[in-house]
Amino acid sequence: MSTLSRDQVRTMMAEVLSAQGKELPADDSASLETIGFRSLDFSELALRVEDEIGDELNFDAPGLRSIETVGDVLDFLDQLQTA
Amino acid sequence: MSDTATAPTAATPAAIPPATCVLISGGSRGLGLSLVHDALANGARVATFARTVTPELEALAAERPDDVFVGSVDITDTKAITTFIKEASAKLGPIDALINNAAIGQDSLHVHTSPERVAQIVTTNLTAPLLLARAFLRHAMAKSGRGRIVMVTSVCAQRGYSGLVTYSATKGGLDSAMRTLAREMHGRFLVNSVAPGFFASEMSSVLGNEQLSTITRRTPSGRLVEPDNITPVVRSLLFDDTNLNGQVITIDGGGSI
Ligand SMILES: NC(=O)c1ccc[n+]([C@@H]2O[C@H](COP(=O)([O-])OP(=O)(O)OC[C@H]3O[C@@H](n4cnc5c(N)ncnc54)[C@H](OP(=O)(O)O)[C@@H]3O)[C@@H](O)[C@H]2O)c1
Repeated sequence: MSTLSRDQVRTMMAEVLSAQGKELPADDSASLETIGFRSLDFSELALRVEDEIGDELNFDAPGLRSIETVGDVLDFLDQLQTA
Repeated sequence: MSDTATAPTAATPAAIPPATCVLISGGSRGLGLSLVHDALANGARVATFARTVTPELEALAAERPDDVFVGSVDITDTKAITTFIKEASAKLGPIDALINNAAIGQDSLHVHTSPERVAQIVTTNLTAPLLLARAFLRHAMAKSGRGRIVMVTSVCAQRGYSGLVTYSATKGGLDSAMRTLAREMHGRFLVNSVAPGFFASEMSSVLGNEQLSTITRRTPSGRLVEPDNITPVVRSLLFDDTNLNGQVITIDGGGSI
């Protein structure tokens, strides 16, 4: 399975946000609540990544609940791609 | 009320007798184990199985060898289920009640649940309980001719809860099957569902504190359901002459109203 780099996923995350008129801050420690990135936005991002790598990244909801920052999102998608 | 009013006649058949021997799926822990204890405390014999027989269940079987029959059986293994029923009834006598309790949970958005997991949940929570009910009915029809069935479903069959799409579909499917079975068995078997709200168990352990407090806050009674709230209702469905048939009894502190 091909994987996307952290930077590529970051770009996609910015696209998900900009489609809603929101901006992705440069700082990885930015809080998702503050920037308005909700769980279904994560879902959309994960599906965009899947589309790109041509494979499914299925996961349970509890893993998502501990995601609080932009960095957490990028880490989680990194882990899912290499699992 | 006069005696003649309750005496069975051709027009008014006798009430279904209380259960004497109960088959409980998934009696190794959680609600299932509470139901095992409660059925025994009410004088019934109990046959129960799970994939793993827990120390608690082993101890109970050792303590009450004449009343308890346990086995390590996967509910999706139809052959093993038939053998279990045969062996259990050879030891305990005819089985005249079934509690379809075993199930697996879900906590994933539908779009992120693999097709394999969807199939596994449907097989375990819907196909297998339907086949268990079939195997039980074939046994009970041939032996005692009458009896009782309780499906343990869920409030999720009636209300939408995120992360539980396939699980909810299986519980709704069981509720529908329950009603049709109640009609089909035409008074020979009382068939009902109990539909609990969330209660603490291995299945619900994935829920975070925040979710649990949200559910509690939305529950008019102000507290989450516990297995001890559910056992009296199931007890009544197994042992009392309530004439309840084809019903879903929701036990959730009013959370779904
Ligand atoms: N907990 C809740 O919040 C909640 C709410 C509403 C309804 N319910 C329903 O209540 C019932 C009991 O749930 P619980 O919370 O007590 O769950 P639990 O603690 O996870 O217990 C489930 C039981 O089912 C058995 N089981 C699971 N898969 C099985 C299989 N393939 N073959 C045989 N046995 C199997 C388990 O044993 P093994 O794993 O060893 O097989 C265990 O004995 C279920 O029908 C559930 O859907 C639960």
